[in-house]
Amino acid sequence: MKFLCVPCDKPMQLLEATPPDRGSVSLVYSCDACGYEFAMLTNPQETQVVSSLGIKIGTDGESESKCPFTGMLTDMETAEAGIRWTSEAEERLSSVPEFVRPMAKTGIEKYAKDQGYVEVDAKVLDEARSHFGM
Amino acid sequence: MKNYYDITGDGGSNILEQVGAMQAAIGEKLAGVKHRLAIGSGKGGVGKSTLTRQLATALRGRGNTCAILDADLNGPSQARMSGLRDVPLLPGAEGVALPKDAHGVGVVSLGSLVPESEAVTFDTVAQGDSYTWRATREFTAVAELLASIDWGHLDYLLIDLPPGAERTLQFAEFLGSQTAFILVTVPSDLARGVVARSVAALRGTPNRVLGYVENMRGYWCDVCNDVRPLFPESEHVDLGLPRLGSVPFDPELAAACDRGELAVGNDRPWWVAVQKLAETVEETIETKPNASAE
Repeated sequence: MKFLCVPCDKPMQLLEATPPDRGSVSLVYSCDACGYEFAMLTNPQETQVVSSLGIKIGTDGESESKCPFTGMLTDMETAEAGIRWTSEAEERLSSVPEFVRPMAKTGIEKYAKDQGYVEVDAKVLDEARSHFGM
Repeated sequence: MKNYYDITGDGGSNILEQVGAMQAAIGEKLAGVKHRLAIGSGKGGVGKSTLTRQLATALRGRGNTCAILDADLNGPSQARMSGLRDVPLLPGAEGVALPKDAHGVGVVSLGSLVPESEAVTFDTVAQGDSYTWRATREFTAVAELLASIDWGHLDYLLIDLPPGAERTLQFAEFLGSQTAFILVTVPSDLARGVVARSVAALRGTPNRVLGYVENMRGYWCDVCNDVRPLFPESEHVDLGLPRLGSVPFDPELAAACDRGELAVGNDRPWWVAVQKLAETVEETIETKPNASAE
């Protein structure tokens, strides 16, 4: 979807995206030529359809500044109380798709707990891969 | 006034770039896969998943490196059949490590992650309106799996499709023209009639359809020591495809699948038939033109 400023015949640029509120996001577009601004307000279905594409609106995928959809991602709270993750292990976990990351994290923490570990680091991840024959 | 195609970019949302990045990631991860083979039908309950499991094992036994992607997100069964329930997805050096079964076949299935007592769900802000977005989310989920797994070098990536003629077509378009198809039916006109719709749908795509497999053609009876009829012998519905093989049902195999122990190395008729099927698939995928275009 693209937006065009009809009087200027110029494409409009995304200016601001607000976090979701009850499934609705507000996206402000502006025309660089005349400064005109308008807001697109989505309903929850529209928000979900875009989110279902696995893309992030208003961000390059690395910046967190404009993406209204990241606020809807699965809660990453740990399932096994008392298990810590090192930053390196968290970084490696980010290669697991977001929609299955909580389940993967739970499985890894279960393995760590069964082995008597209180912290998941890169070594534990490597050990788990070996344990499961990967 | 400018139209959509006159405007480059998308106003700063970077949607096009993100879609392109996902496609590039899939291409990169699948670069080492020689053959992508989707196992579909259109009809449910004909044994697609079991046959996929059997075929992968037989191809592996013939010296091929193989993996299965369980694309039936709502009814994943490959994890149980492969004995890989409760095996978590683990991050490796080049993406998510590929879980492997006792035969060395890689298996990626949501059945490893989601207990059978739970439905596969996605977070949503549109509760109660899943008909508007669920299918899109599922394809995105499959894309995310394809793009994140370290598939490595594979001779065959078998993709176990969900039922539905429309899903078969959607997966053909989603997986791209380099993915070949095998369709599975049982020997009844009812099933063949449904599979015929998938054949018709796939004719509109550039994908190769290698042929079809007739599953459950009779069942092995340990008392009679013979293959007995299971469905009426009828071929009134012509699928217009070569038959790649016929595989009998075997109660022992069904029990083994439940246990996650695919016993091979025996000479029971189903295994002999699947080995022959693997040989035919190897020959067909290397040499034959698109059967559906003939």
